[in-house]
Amino acid sequence: MAFSGALTLTDLNDYLGPSQACIKPVEQSNPSSKEEKGAASTAIQVDLNGAYYEVSNDGLAASKSTHGPRKLEQAQINLNDCLACSGCITSAESVLITLQSHVEVLNVLDRIATTSDLCDDRQVPVISIAPQSLASLATALSTRTKRPVSLLQVMRRVQAFFKEKLGVTRVYDTTFSREVALREHVKEFFERKEASTASDSRLPMLASACPGWICYAEKAHAEMLPFISNTKSPQQTMGTLVKSWMGSQWGKLPNQIYHVSIMPCYDKKLEASRSDFYNELYSSRDVDCVITTGELDQMMVERCWDISQPIPDELVPLRDESVPQLPELIQHTGSSSGSYMHSIMASLAATCASPIRNADYEEWVLRKDTPEGDVLFKGAKCYGFRNLQNVVRKVGKGKGLRGVGAAGRLPGRAVARRKAGQTEERNYDYVEVMACPGGCVNGGGQLKSALVEKENDQEGFTRDWNESGVDLQQEVRWGNKEWTRRVEETYWEGTILPVQHEAHVAWKPAVAQGGNREKVDEMVQRISSALTRDGKANPLRTEYHTVESEEIGLAVRW
Amino acid sequence: MQVDLPYELKLIATLSGHEDRAWHLAWNPTKPLLASCSGDRSVRLYSYSPSALDFRLAASIPTGHTKSVRAVAWAPSGKTLVTASFDANIGVWEREEDDEDGAGEWECLTLLEGHETECKSVAYSSTGTLLASCSRDKSVWVWEVQPDADFECLGVMMEHTQDVKCVAWHPTEELLASASYDDTIRFYIDDPSDDWYCAATIQAHESTVWSLAWSPDGRFLASASDDKTVKIWKRTGQFQFKEVLVLTGHERAVFSLAWGKGKGGARSLGWLASTGSDGIIFVRELQEAEDTVTERLLTKVHDAHGVHDINTVAWCPTTGLEDILGSAGDDGNCKIWRIEPTGV
Repeated sequence: MAFSGALTLTDLNDYLGPSQACIKPVEQSNPSSKEEKGAASTAIQVDLNGAYYEVSNDGLAASKSTHGPRKLEQAQINLNDCLACSGCITSAESVLITLQSHVEVLNVLDRIATTSDLCDDRQVPVISIAPQSLASLATALSTRTKRPVSLLQVMRRVQAFFKEKLGVTRVYDTTFSREVALREHVKEFFERKEASTASDSRLPMLASACPGWICYAEKAHAEMLPFISNTKSPQQTMGTLVKSWMGSQWGKLPNQIYHVSIMPCYDKKLEASRSDFYNELYSSRDVDCVITTGELDQMMVERCWDISQPIPDELVPLRDESVPQLPELIQHTGSSSGSYMHSIMASLAATCASPIRNADYEEWVLRKDTPEGDVLFKGAKCYGFRNLQNVVRKVGKGKGLRGVGAAGRLPGRAVARRKAGQTEERNYDYVEVMACPGGCVNGGGQLKSALVEKENDQEGFTRDWNESGVDLQQEVRWGNKEWTRRVEETYWEGTILPVQHEAHVAWKPAVAQGGNREKVDEMVQRISSALTRDGKANPLRTEYHTVESEEIGLAVRW
Repeated sequence: MQVDLPYELKLIATLSGHEDRAWHLAWNPTKPLLASCSGDRSVRLYSYSPSALDFRLAASIPTGHTKSVRAVAWAPSGKTLVTASFDANIGVWEREEDDEDGAGEWECLTLLEGHETECKSVAYSSTGTLLASCSRDKSVWVWEVQPDADFECLGVMMEHTQDVKCVAWHPTEELLASASYDDTIRFYIDDPSDDWYCAATIQAHESTVWSLAWSPDGRFLASASDDKTVKIWKRTGQFQFKEVLVLTGHERAVFSLAWGKGKGGARSLGWLASTGSDGIIFVRELQEAEDTVTERLLTKVHDAHGVHDINTVAWCPTTGLEDILGSAGDDGNCKIWRIEPTGV
């Protein structure tokens, strides 16, 4: 199974076996008695069945012992132990990802479909699909059929698939929940900005929508956690909307809804499984199961659904009044990964410049529209693991932070001297961090490029390279890049292009497009007042937790 | 020792002092200074006079790394020293400048974090603008060296499927090679419009590839393996490498290679030293012959560090001292050898 880039680095399935590395302390069920002060007074014996016994070593103690040999229990490790640990990420997270498979989804949906309507236990199935997943499917279809297919068409066909093959009528895209999440995100940015003082800045705020980044930061860069936005990702916002808001409208409790999301990313499965999104009262997760775009594709193939076939009325808005509706396919100008930075910039009126470092690392500076041109905002869009490293370094340096694993002496006097001589560079106010190069359209769960075999023969590399034991990886690479570009293009559907990167253009605050804005406004208002009514913690926010890295030197071999 | 070999390895100095195995050593490219590192987490610096070769401890740096310092490397300028540690970090060190006599202390200017587990090797590119590192986390990183001891990560390559043991830059080009427990050698270059990427892979050996060394002219690459062989690869295209020679003789894993200019004739490709778990140091002269390469065994010495494994060999880069070789072993010692014609 392929993982996204961020997860791969931690996926150390090499010769350091998981069992060797497991650091879970074995709990002592019965307290040790006072006589055992002298060490090594007991020994371990193994009987014929392979059971372990603790026996006393010296005769004196043995005669005092009332129990004789004591059978030792086998240490047990469950999934929660594993997830709370970074000792051996491989097995635990693989198991988790296997539990969240399309086979599991099919089983549950089939079971629901065959349960009588009258049965009280019958769950209401809800499907949420990310726009990046729709773009991936649309690109694959357009390439295969040589005719452009829009996101809306794909959405209609996916809805038809779930309705006809699995009896699911509530299939939504996640752009409305993203709208809710973006508004919360902007609100949080200004909260942080206002709470900041000259000596204690709560900025930069770092994006929170990418679970690969969150997972990595929790394990490797705990010092970044206070800067990561607490606003839930669109997936988890959708989870809250479905289980708390829509559920209450349908008269359903959270555990009476089975919520599946379809995402461009494997790591979204990890996100959905976080304990922060688990409702203990109802033993229910906000998102019960996550499958990737590729798994949805496979699911449709297995259920003999040809998504390349048009369906009737696929270009008209859905008018099935029996099913509750949400505003559909709202576009947010900025980036195909969710426009997090641009939604913040859109709230500031200013002149803008955007020096580009590379395709996956853009810096944006907003200046006041005055002759002095004071800097209002400095942000960056930073995708891919290596750019992420530089952002972590840069933010850490700006804040005077050091990583958890940092060894050794602090940088010495020479550094202090150099710093004194420098004019301070303005730190970032915001960074849109995504673990995948190219962002979510290039997520690990997306459909694979259909271009690799066919279209890259013209690169002119001779074949005999393989014969000399050298294999070339460029062709695949170029094929994938071109593919990502096409998915990006499909995502924007030629209607709204991503923001142009020209320097010093007047920055026009962008607004979300699509849907009826007044209706969306009104709905968001209604939702926030409904969700926050009971005075509990803000249901649109979440928290992060350091995952302590512990190691035992003994088992490690090099 | 065999007597019919044309050269012999004469021990010049034994540098003791590390309290644990000596992992690696590096000759300063511009100054008479030798750095060694160890499982005791310290770096020892020795100065010497190029004529007398009298090695004296100049400084001992308690690096502050929390685990073994596995490798050291000098920047081509000779000013900066980098340390690669099993604590997953890379330290960047310079000497304080406030004392002109050079009595200033060695300071850690910055710590490069990012590797998840043991960092195994570091290397500066020929111009000193790039730094490469590799780790048991299977990744190879390329950093750009910026002013004020700042570094920017330019690439993280995760193509290896196992522990990466060694990184080696081409002597003139920005071409990086890496060797791994997955038995392969991989090559990386910068795509000007994009990131660093793995451009080619050689299924090189039947077991772990421990060490790599480019020939001084950059036309050949040598690789050393756990399969007890050393292979010579001729570069026949930008990323095309052809196996031209297999060197045998080691009785156990070959851990380290050093390919220096040597003191052979104009037609010589230089001297290749190899060592490993068997405690033997081989020195061979390599020559190009039409489409292939021939070897001439100059000398070998058994039990060069007693019964201990030898982790590193390194040629002195100074002109006139091309026959001086350093070795670092599990006995905690570094030894300095001169390759001399037999019977002189």
